Amino acid sequence: MSVKSQIELLLREAEIYRSQGLLVEAKGKYNVAVDLIGKLDQAKNKEALIQAICRKIKSLTISYHQIERAQEAPQMPPKVQDLVKNLFSFSQDKDEDKAALEGAITLAKFGQYDRALEEFNELTKKDSLRVVACKNILRCCFSVYSPEEAVERYKKWLKDDLYSKEQLQKIRLFLEDLLDKKGIEIQLPAVLDADEATIDQDRVDEDLIDISSIGITFEGGPQKGQMVEMEVSFQSGNMISLIVSSKDRELIESLKVGFRLNDVQFFSPIAIFQGSGIVMAKTKINSGPKRGDYSLDIKIVNT
Amino acid sequence: MAIFNLKKRVIECKIVYYGPGRCGKTTNLEYIFKAYKKQIKGEMVSINTEGDRTLFFDFLPIGLGKVKGCDVRVQLYTVPGQVQYSSTRKLVLRGVDGVVFVADSLKVRREKNMESLQDLQKNLKEYGSSVFKTPLVMQFNKRDLAGQGIPLMSVEQMARDLNRQLKVPYFETSAFLGQGVGQTLKECMKLTLQSLQKQVQWAQ
Repeated sequence: MSVKSQIELLLREAEIYRSQGLLVEAKGKYNVAVDLIGKLDQAKNKEALIQAICRKIKSLTISYHQIERAQEAPQMPPKVQDLVKNLFSFSQDKDEDKAALEGAITLAKFGQYDRALEEFNELTKKDSLRVVACKNILRCCFSVYSPEEAVERYKKWLKDDLYSKEQLQKIRLFLEDLLDKKGIEIQLPAVLDADEATIDQDRVDEDLIDISSIGITFEGGPQKGQMVEMEVSFQSGNMISLIVSSKDRELIESLKVGFRLNDVQFFSPIAIFQGSGIVMAKTKINSGPKRGDYSLDIKIVNT
Repeated sequence: MAIFNLKKRVIECKIVYYGPGRCGKTTNLEYIFKAYKKQIKGEMVSINTEGDRTLFFDFLPIGLGKVKGCDVRVQLYTVPGQVQYSSTRKLVLRGVDGVVFVADSLKVRREKNMESLQDLQKNLKEYGSSVFKTPLVMQFNKRDLAGQGIPLMSVEQMARDLNRQLKVPYFETSAFLGQGVGQTLKECMKLTLQSLQKQVQWAQ
């Protein structure tokens, strides 16, 4: 077979592989074709042909990276989520609560964490399913957020009257186990009786110094790498409130409830310290001089 | 895990199309959806990602009519073929009653076919089943590309690579043109129903 025919065949193969979505294989054939053309001494439009093929290789590389970067488990439309729950919940349990639990677990298995978390949270209201729902919430936190977020949830439950001491002990053991498996050393607060817990919380609140302003450095989005400074308008223990002007659209949109801020500088009259926080609430101010602005509540979780 | 509802006289079973990425699993279901409209019991659900790849699964419910007085309903699924979606593949395979293994005839995909068959074997084993016990039919797909001068494996080579030990029925197909798609599905359903019949007899 002549070199020209070989090149033609290679290009035809590459084109078919590309149309089949076999990007690596297509790229391989184009590369071989470029090598062959390069070795030709006298070829019409040699450089132009090589350039044209290189453009195709570049385009394939871009498509390949887009696929590689694609989110592994994007959120499905609610209708499809319902179908997934229906198709992949196998127990046929007639107990509605248990069926709901299985449905939520199925959603989590398919990476539909937002809705799974919503449903697990709802199930924590049922005494019989509370512990297993909490365990699944912690698992979701490990998968989608961070171990620190899981610890925060546990701390929140500690303060909740809904949880018995026994239930909290079980959740604590489970969380300890998850942290151990990940090799993370975090000292979890012990499960205390209600009175002890109140005293303990008061102590934590007293330990936190007054924060006058904070600087948030964004890890992603349009403000990636930038530090945005904001005045603290109110502080209660480890919860601080800030006012964000309605003009700061991008900022308001990026600070969604539940969003974790991993790089925050807390400025106090006596020291500056680094830590992280979670956006706990975002409320639009509807009256007064700050009307239209937003009030943000950020919980300091780690300093 | 077929569902037998003796009261309503309904049998519901699950057939999964398995195979490497881009081998034509979704194309099979799309053809079935178009060609067997009368039997289709609902919409085809597909969740694709970047580059038109199946991300979670495709789902197509079809009705087979009556077999021994029972209404037979079949749920067809595909799995995502790309290696990274291993956990989803395993989830979709749970409770499977029959498998269509779609192999890519392109020479450049030889290794991927074998890897995918091994993956199927591993996942079935984890569910306490076996590739030897599960009703299985093979498809050597994309045979139409031979006409375009693209290097394809011979049917004999593919049978040697993939079917030497299994010895299951196999079909030369072009899911794109619809050739062999119906025969593959019919054979898989036949094997699946025979297997279910045996299970019911055992249960009785």
